[in-house]
Amino acid sequence: MTMTEQLTDMRTEYGKTLIELGKENPNVVVLGADTTDSLKTAKFGEVYPERFFNVGIAEANLVTVAAGLASAGKVAFASTYAIFLPGRCVDQIRNAIAYPSRGDKKGLNVKLVVSHGGLSVGADGGSHQQIEDIAIMRAIPNMRVLIPADSVTVKKLTWIISQQYGPFYMRMARTKTPLIHQESQEFEIGKGITLRDGSDCTIAACGITVKMALDAAESLKQEGISCRVIDGFSVKPIDAELFEKAARETGGIVTCEEHNILAGFGSAIAEVVSERYPVPIKRIGAQDMFGESARDKEIPLLFEKHGITSVNIAKKVKEIRSKS
Amino acid sequence: MGLNYYQIKKNVLKARKLVIKGTTAAGSGHPGGSFSMAEILGCLLFKFIKYDPKNPLWEERDRLILSKGHASPGLFSNLAVAGYFDPSEIETLRQFGSRLQGHPDLKCPGVEFCGGSLGLGISYSIGNALAAKIDGKNHRIYTIIGDGESDEGQVWEAAMTAVKYKVDKMTVIQDRNFIQQDSYTEKIMPLDEELVGDDLSEMWKDASRWKTGDKWRSFGWNVIEIDGHRIEQIDYAINKAIQTKGVPSIIIARTIKGKGVEHMEDNPQWHGKAPKPEIAPIIDVELDSQFMIAPSIIAGDMSNLENEVKRCADGRADYIHLDVMDGEFVPNKTFDHNKIKELRPITAIPFDAHLMINEPVKHVRDYVEAGCDIITVHAEVCDEASFGEIHDILRQNQVGVGLAINPDTDLPNWSNKFISDLDHLIVMSVVPGKSGQKYIESSHEKTQKLSKKLAEHKFEGYIEADGGINLENAGQCFADGARAFVGGGAIVGQKDVRGIIREFRKTILHTRRKLLIQKAHEFGGTELVNKWIELHVIGEKKNELIQLSKELGYN
Repeated sequence: MTMTEQLTDMRTEYGKTLIELGKENPNVVVLGADTTDSLKTAKFGEVYPERFFNVGIAEANLVTVAAGLASAGKVAFASTYAIFLPGRCVDQIRNAIAYPSRGDKKGLNVKLVVSHGGLSVGADGGSHQQIEDIAIMRAIPNMRVLIPADSVTVKKLTWIISQQYGPFYMRMARTKTPLIHQESQEFEIGKGITLRDGSDCTIAACGITVKMALDAAESLKQEGISCRVIDGFSVKPIDAELFEKAARETGGIVTCEEHNILAGFGSAIAEVVSERYPVPIKRIGAQDMFGESARDKEIPLLFEKHGITSVNIAKKVKEIRSKS
Repeated sequence: MGLNYYQIKKNVLKARKLVIKGTTAAGSGHPGGSFSMAEILGCLLFKFIKYDPKNPLWEERDRLILSKGHASPGLFSNLAVAGYFDPSEIETLRQFGSRLQGHPDLKCPGVEFCGGSLGLGISYSIGNALAAKIDGKNHRIYTIIGDGESDEGQVWEAAMTAVKYKVDKMTVIQDRNFIQQDSYTEKIMPLDEELVGDDLSEMWKDASRWKTGDKWRSFGWNVIEIDGHRIEQIDYAINKAIQTKGVPSIIIARTIKGKGVEHMEDNPQWHGKAPKPEIAPIIDVELDSQFMIAPSIIAGDMSNLENEVKRCADGRADYIHLDVMDGEFVPNKTFDHNKIKELRPITAIPFDAHLMINEPVKHVRDYVEAGCDIITVHAEVCDEASFGEIHDILRQNQVGVGLAINPDTDLPNWSNKFISDLDHLIVMSVVPGKSGQKYIESSHEKTQKLSKKLAEHKFEGYIEADGGINLENAGQCFADGARAFVGGGAIVGQKDVRGIIREFRKTILHTRRKLLIQKAHEFGGTELVNKWIELHVIGEKKNELIQLSKELGYN
């Protein structure tokens, strides 16, 4: 693959979209915890200072103040790095945001949008590479979990979650990412997107690993293996029908994520498929090991250590096929 | 506007009884922390907070955020008394399918915050206040936190945030009861100073050891420190907080965990334990047997009533009895509303104006305006119409409604219709007119009879014994049914007002303990008596109870 790719930045798109949202909806408020420059939310504060709150390095407070704002009818976007929200504030997220329910309104209207999810954080090291957030967040009732693959997805999902009541967790990557989707692509919570059809095996990925899935499918095509590729950005609710169908029609699934293989995206698919139409599944992700520092150019090495590569995806596809 | 003193007191009592009912039925729950904040919640809900129980989500409502959510029985009970749901629902507390969850839940109307995971309430309240600011709304947010809860780091994150954003529509109240789940707060994680030994009362007494307020002050908060069981102090503090602009306010309310039930008071065991079903009826009687001491200042130096008021306030009187005499209804003349107005700024302690004057209906407004919190008029100079008018004026102004009868007067028939709504009834045990007379012995029998009659008419107020009350007869007066005690010469006439008030309390408490032992015996014989006595593990109470039980021949 020598084709040059157009790289875009998820956070920049998020910050831009928030300003558009703010114009459209006066109830949108944005909160940060001393990372507003990095998350690109600070600009919202320049445009709408009365609707922007930087609570300092106090994430528990960040999340709970957001809950309080939501309790009074605000659509509260609270953002910082992934490592500081699900991992650090699971109690506040659970009890102040997800739990409070009144009638049909399940949970409060808080949108936790984070950056720096997964191993691709790189140089900051394993302490800052959140590889447990999908597991934590999808175990919380009323919480929905989204992992966008590119900046188009970020923009679309930011709009969608601002309009859908209730708590959401959306995880962006630190690194710039190639565009996966067209501007015209429609997104729906709970619906995966089939990026490429195929009949021999399915590759399901989320976030920046969607690109690896596409690359693997392309290389397998050269070997005469036809792979279906699904962008499973809606990790919860998961598109059970789509994955069941993929299982039926392709006979096996390889999942890929930059998250621990335990209780993450792959696990969510395995849960659904094993109950509906069991087929062989191979999960690719962090091997229940913490990450470590890697400079940008070395991030592929870090991924390789955990087997999060298009090469390994292709290998797993072949393993599945050899068994069936 | 008066304090709404008695209405708050009555509702606080109802709520406390519901806490016992609920936790007993559930077999678990947190009565201790519900009782320490009982008066605080009472003042908030029945004086300050704007709400509409028929429309719990009314947009303009004030918000009550119970951060120390384990005290949910206290919150639910108050919401029931406030009319959000039928009080009988309290018996579903903690049951499967109930709206009254183990910790506050939005399922229950009136609940604003799912508290219980500690340390979150202030942050949440800040969020609510910031939203109100954006929307130009004027409601206030009242947030109750615990002292044990203040170990949580998030409390202090929120403390900084509230100052940064000048959140002044929020009033935080810390229920400083000195006890957390494991033990005394000062042993587990000192907020004031490390507790050496076990005597919590030492901590209470020595203001120089209170450091909690300093912590908040250093964060930039407006800090108001009060006794969290005294309605007038809570009232003062909340008003002060409302007036404070530009910075958040916190009221550090020093309270007693389990307040109102002797065996629970200051006992860490009662943080999270329900009473046994057989003990609950005794607790109910105990809660019904609260009493108050009210010194009468005319027994002091009439030329310096200011000083007498100060002495009573320093002496920790429950309220101050002001004998107004006009020289017509009674031969003597003392002072009128003008003097009361002058005395009013000296203290926040409730003023109880006992109007021994003719045609009280003509003057009662003057006394309301002078700042009285309770006004008592004589049955001898009222009829149904005039008392009805007085009643309405007083209620409209949140002033307590009192009726008084002379030693040779019985309750007139016209008063029957007012009894259930009366705040107190003064049974004069001397002929009114001057201080220093002897107690008329037949008053004991009269009070006993009246006490029965009033109960039949659903009286919820206090019988006040007034005239010649002293340390010798106060106990008997309590046994007769009196629950408020006016002390003239026996209190104000003494040098050490504080000391003598303490003696009065001790004496009356002794009689009350005896009465409770008798009740326990009535409910469950010697076995229950002993079981109940065994619960009194803190302080010296147990020895006195054992002695009393012996005297009564119950062992």
